[in-house]
Amino acid sequence: MASEKRQPVDQLDFNQVKEILPQRFPFLMIDRIVEIKAGEKVVGLKNISGNEEFFQGHFPDLPVMPGSLILEAIAQTAIVLFCYGNTDQDVSRRTFLFGSVKARFLSPAYPGDRMLVEVTPVKLISTGGVVKGVAKVEDRIVCKGELSFSVNKEKAT
Amino acid sequence: MEQDQLFSEIKKIVAYVIEVDENEFDGETKFVDDLGVDSMMALEILVGIEKKYKVKIPEDRLENITNLNESVALAREFIEGK
Repeated sequence: MASEKRQPVDQLDFNQVKEILPQRFPFLMIDRIVEIKAGEKVVGLKNISGNEEFFQGHFPDLPVMPGSLILEAIAQTAIVLFCYGNTDQDVSRRTFLFGSVKARFLSPAYPGDRMLVEVTPVKLISTGGVVKGVAKVEDRIVCKGELSFSVNKEKAT
Repeated sequence: MEQDQLFSEIKKIVAYVIEVDENEFDGETKFVDDLGVDSMMALEILVGIEKKYKVKIPEDRLENITNLNESVALAREFIEGK
């Protein structure tokens, strides 16, 4: 069934995203994939709700989405880019770890924002990759950067 | 391209990626044993070379990123083969 669900369509719903990403609540930073071109480009969508638990502390009187979690949304979209269309069926059961991040935050993301995260490959190899990511709310760039990640064959325990 | 120029350009790339001062290593300093370079850093060095010289280097050549001299030789091979 898994192979059937990963046929090249250009969108993935929440359940399909969960089939690929190992992250779970409260750490799923992508709700849906709105555009996907295997190995070339993935655009993830994160609807930022005022109900997110991180807004309790970041910050009590000024809710803005933490930059670290925006990077996480970019990283999770990168995992989809890495896995989608990858013929290795075990790939989604692997653990993904950040190598490095170079990012610039250009404007905040607030409750109610619909954040689109576009990720394109710089170089993908069998054990990781380097990607470019841009997070936008409407035409406003929230964050852009480049990150590297590695893929561990064993699941983290 | 002059060997000295290529050497110094790639030294800059390596120093930037692994966050080590350029005068802390030379051509033969071992990346893994002496500088703590891991597989991700090696990949980033490879990407740095690809971007700078507009070349594509296959994954299996990552094993050549062992020291600066080897990295320069790898870059030269692909720049000349372009």
